Amino acid sequence: MKPSKACQRYRSVRRKPSQHYLYQESLLLSNLDDSFNADETGDSNDPEQIFQNIQFQKDLMANIRCRPWTMAQKLGALRRAKEIVLKFEGRLTRTRGYQAAGAELWRKFARLACNFMVMFIPWEMRIKKIESHFGSGVASYFIFLRWLFGINIVLTIMTAAFIVIPELIAGQPFGSTASKTIPKEHMASAQDLDTVWSLGGYLQYSVLFYGYYGRERRIGRAGYRLPLAYFLVGMAVFAYSFIILLKKMAKNSRNSLASASNENYTFCWRVFCAWDYLIGNPEAAESKTAAIVNSIRVSGVVTVCLRVVANILVLLSLAGSISLIYFVVDRSQRLEQSKKELTLWEKNEVSVVVSLVTMLAPSAFDLIAALEMYHPRTTLRFQLARVLVLYLGNLYSLIIALLDKVNSMSTEEAATKNNTSHWIDPTIFSATRMAPEEEKWSTPGPGIGLPRNSTWAPEEASVPAYTLPLSEANKTTVYTQRPQDQCWETYVGQEMLKLSIIDMLFTVASVLLIDFFRGLFVRYLSDYWCWDLESKFPEYGEFKIAENVLHLVYNQGMIWMGAFFSPCLPAFNVLKLIGLMYLRSWAVLTCNVPHQQVFRASRSNNFYLAMLLFMLFLCMLPTIFAIVRYKPSLNCGPFSGQEKMYDIVSETIEKDFPAWFGSVVGYVSSPVVILPAVLLLFMLVYYLQSIVRSLKLSNQQLRVQTQNASIAPSVLYPAAGSQHSCSSISLNASPPLLTSHPPPAARIQTQEESSKRLQKDSDLSSQLSSAHSLTPQSNGTVVNLDSSSSRSGRVGTVAQRTPPSPQPGLSSPSSPPPGDPPPCSSAGDRRENRSCSSVTQTKRTEDVRSEPLYRKDFQQMDRPLRGPGLPAVASRGPRSHAPRYYIINERDSHQKTHPTFWPEGHFRMDALEDLVEMCPRTTRQAVSRAPQQGPSPQLSEEEEGAPRREPVERSLHPQCLTGLQGAAHFYVGDRSESRTLAPEYQGRVHFKSWDDGFEAPLDRPVYGHRKPRSRNFQSAQHPPKLRGKPKVEPSLTESDSMSAASSSDQQNGGDDRCLQVTRSQAKFPRSVRQLGKRKAISRQELIADLSDLICSNV
Amino acid sequence: MTLGDPRSFCDLAPQLVPLDYTSCPDVKVPYELIGSMPELKDNPFRQRIAQVFSEDGDGHMTLDNFLDMFSVMSEMAPRDLKAYYAFKIYDFNNDGYICAWDLEQTVTKLTRGELSAEEVSLVCEKVLDEADGDHDGRLSLEDFQNMILRAPDFLSTFHIRI
Repeated sequence: MKPSKACQRYRSVRRKPSQHYLYQESLLLSNLDDSFNADETGDSNDPEQIFQNIQFQKDLMANIRCRPWTMAQKLGALRRAKEIVLKFEGRLTRTRGYQAAGAELWRKFARLACNFMVMFIPWEMRIKKIESHFGSGVASYFIFLRWLFGINIVLTIMTAAFIVIPELIAGQPFGSTASKTIPKEHMASAQDLDTVWSLGGYLQYSVLFYGYYGRERRIGRAGYRLPLAYFLVGMAVFAYSFIILLKKMAKNSRNSLASASNENYTFCWRVFCAWDYLIGNPEAAESKTAAIVNSIRVSGVVTVCLRVVANILVLLSLAGSISLIYFVVDRSQRLEQSKKELTLWEKNEVSVVVSLVTMLAPSAFDLIAALEMYHPRTTLRFQLARVLVLYLGNLYSLIIALLDKVNSMSTEEAATKNNTSHWIDPTIFSATRMAPEEEKWSTPGPGIGLPRNSTWAPEEASVPAYTLPLSEANKTTVYTQRPQDQCWETYVGQEMLKLSIIDMLFTVASVLLIDFFRGLFVRYLSDYWCWDLESKFPEYGEFKIAENVLHLVYNQGMIWMGAFFSPCLPAFNVLKLIGLMYLRSWAVLTCNVPHQQVFRASRSNNFYLAMLLFMLFLCMLPTIFAIVRYKPSLNCGPFSGQEKMYDIVSETIEKDFPAWFGSVVGYVSSPVVILPAVLLLFMLVYYLQSIVRSLKLSNQQLRVQTQNASIAPSVLYPAAGSQHSCSSISLNASPPLLTSHPPPAARIQTQEESSKRLQKDSDLSSQLSSAHSLTPQSNGTVVNLDSSSSRSGRVGTVAQRTPPSPQPGLSSPSSPPPGDPPPCSSAGDRRENRSCSSVTQTKRTEDVRSEPLYRKDFQQMDRPLRGPGLPAVASRGPRSHAPRYYIINERDSHQKTHPTFWPEGHFRMDALEDLVEMCPRTTRQAVSRAPQQGPSPQLSEEEEGAPRREPVERSLHPQCLTGLQGAAHFYVGDRSESRTLAPEYQGRVHFKSWDDGFEAPLDRPVYGHRKPRSRNFQSAQHPPKLRGKPKVEPSLTESDSMSAASSSDQQNGGDDRCLQVTRSQAKFPRSVRQLGKRKAISRQELIADLSDLICSNV
Repeated sequence: MTLGDPRSFCDLAPQLVPLDYTSCPDVKVPYELIGSMPELKDNPFRQRIAQVFSEDGDGHMTLDNFLDMFSVMSEMAPRDLKAYYAFKIYDFNNDGYICAWDLEQTVTKLTRGELSAEEVSLVCEKVLDEADGDHDGRLSLEDFQNMILRAPDFLSTFHIRI
């Protein structure tokens, strides 16, 4: 227990967000410097800073175990941290020092106490030993056993404290009343072994069973209400078991992440979690290996008819076992009625038969399961289900047979009393029985022993007279001889206890015979035998975890079933479990090998508990049924004389509580309250159910997001990295930009996904369906309503206003915005005349820059840089940047068409969100250009599917594109000369280029770009050799390729550096700063250049 | 970490390891001895474990390495740390990724070569299919963590008791 608690403690410590972050960071960075940078800075005299530094060091010390450093590093770090703490702590106030010292002392003490407590956890060392031999699977059985032991201890304490001990202390002593005396005829045999063995004689008239407890409403001087306590404790046993079980289950499911996710990692877990590192025993290792091979191998042979046969066999054996038990109970009943003295076998045959069935049938099922040839895991599941059904069937048939017997007992009882035949309907009896009953009991008054005896005396006397006319004389004489034997509760309790005892004996026997002696036999005789005993037939006994656990569950079910009728049953079970613990652990360590089909039930698995809960529920039912349905025995037990057992509660409320309480209870229990309460419960259940459903949904979406986020770094950060220089400016200007990184990535991914869906869905609906990152695109136009940016009111307005605007044609340069300089901005012109376009484009980029899109300071930085640089850029026109300018251009012109939508104020306000938003817009625009160049300048409705998929790919592309080679871009240009190419082509080409450029520097190529590519290969009729095409393309001019190469070289260099940046956000600013410093001013043009792009892309 | 650690380290090679550790900390216990520890000798990944935790990847361990190993493999070690080292252990070629080859190695060691080549490659394919989040044909640390931290019994199985 303790280690797990300690683990939890550490885990919880780690869960603190800041520390978690630290830890993550350290995991990723694995360097020490980072965490020590802060140390030196703490030299100032500001107490707050010192305190923070000390806190930091303490965090470090607390989490040092969480860091994947080597021991030397850890020790060094620890030493340094301690030094710093010591050095600076003195500077703080003295109280803080004392506080710290006290905390440290307390921590040490707690640790010591923890270690000390381990010694008091029962069987901890034993279980650990087993665990280290056989792995955690086998150990889980023993842990489960120990847990059951704990429950039984609590149950025992409950029953002992509130029922058994009060009865012993204050109740009527043994022999004082009829229900507490052994009848004379039995006195002689009361001490015989077989009587004791079958729980008769003294045992029957003891606190072990229900019948012994007195019916006085109050006992002792304190007036302890024993009957009430008996009833309440009986119920509390169930209530406690339920609560503790559910609590444990809830805790388990909280602990295991797995239960929440339905993700399927079957094979991964089979490979990576298969080996139990605890195993330190060659045999266990061997069978573990076999189990792993089994679990990995997928069996292919299916033989249907055999399975049908097997199932029929199983059903037959189930039916057989149930009918056998029923028959045995029936037979024992008849024997009891017909014979006065029963042999030992006859007395015990019920429980022996039940135990035999429970022991043998699973093996039979095992044999049958071999017929089926299922996959081992399926076999195991079937086996478990069958065994569980068998156990339940046994218990149920037993209890039903017993209750049947009880029924007939009370019938007979009534028959003897009312002097009527046995075969009349019991209901009549109960009716007729009641009248004399009430007279009898009302006169002597409750709770007095002697008068009751006196009332019984005449009855006893009268019975023979009445029964004379009856045909079955011998039978009635039996009854007259022992009126107080007619205690069906005691009878049921006896049967349960007997069953439990015999079950224990059988378990011991099976362990000894099947495991121990077989082990001995195999070990020592295998040398002299004709075949290899160890590997062929008898082998060693296997420790079948699942079946043993089921047996424990069954055993506990028996206890629950019988606990009401035999208050000492939990106490007995405690002893039994102790014995079982020692026996099993000994057997496991000496003569067992673990099961080959290792059953996956770790500690965090709720499987056992679910079975136990199931069992508890099913075992509670018959008990509750018996309590509610049957009348308590007349002459024994705490409820004798009452119509129903639960009457004790209402009686107590009536008599011992003030009148108002009774009326309140009356109201509460009336249908007026109960019905609405039930309704309310239903509503509550429904409400919670719906909440769960919605939570599941959001969970799912979050998972999608996290997946995207985990992919995002590779998509986005390369882009961010390629911005190297640009970000050096833009990031410095607006550091919070960093925070805006993840959202676009996420959005991109979801776009990606939705684009897949697009093939069947309509655009808008599918976009909407990816709820978290809404990118509703009304036909052709781009309105990016990012969820993150939707916080700003502006986006909302855009979303409203844009739809009326544009089909692609409108937002394209073909309708140049007013005031936008050159007429050659139309797509066709630009492509024909590259130099012209380059000039105009650079101009436009300036426009872009001068746009309110960026912050003021940023603009100011840009302008001076760009202004003089214009001609240079123009001369550099054919450089790789040109296409990028296109992109910006597009957006630019688009914005110019709607200048009112982009007021400066808004931009300054939500610069971040806007930046985030820009990216898809620009890309979208870029894409929408493609169809435009075709014969039909505007998109026809049918075509819209394709380009809409494009932007998604595109939206990925420019981020990487920024830092990249120009090949792709030139390619675009080339492509524009031959206008017949399909839009997909363009998209694909971009992907190509992106791949080419990034395969090398990128650690993890992006999830996104694979699928689109493959799709493109399928959809477009171009050969898959396109990868190399940009180089082969003849239309590339020398200068083009040269400049492309050079720029890509430079920028790839930047990429590499920035990739590291992306690895950890914490490092980002610093590295960027370094980069920024390193950049020569001569490159600042380029930087600023890129920065535009980046900013618009990010 | 338990108190037993240094002692069992000494027990491994009493002739090599001095009892007094204040002066000469630079003693290495060869892999042959590490791998034959009862805690490790049945572990199919013992060599990897030793290599991962040893300083220069050859499996020879100093006391510090030894302590490292058992601190990571102890019950108290946090989940993420375990996942990190599990990744390293399964990354046979130390390239920072679990690639198909690593997977094949893992499966082969796990099953002691009882599976045929097709079966092994099938399993590897499936594993990659399940856990490879970014579809690059190999598992990165993130993929691996994502997968392993959801496993119900990773924590209970990935520890060694000394």
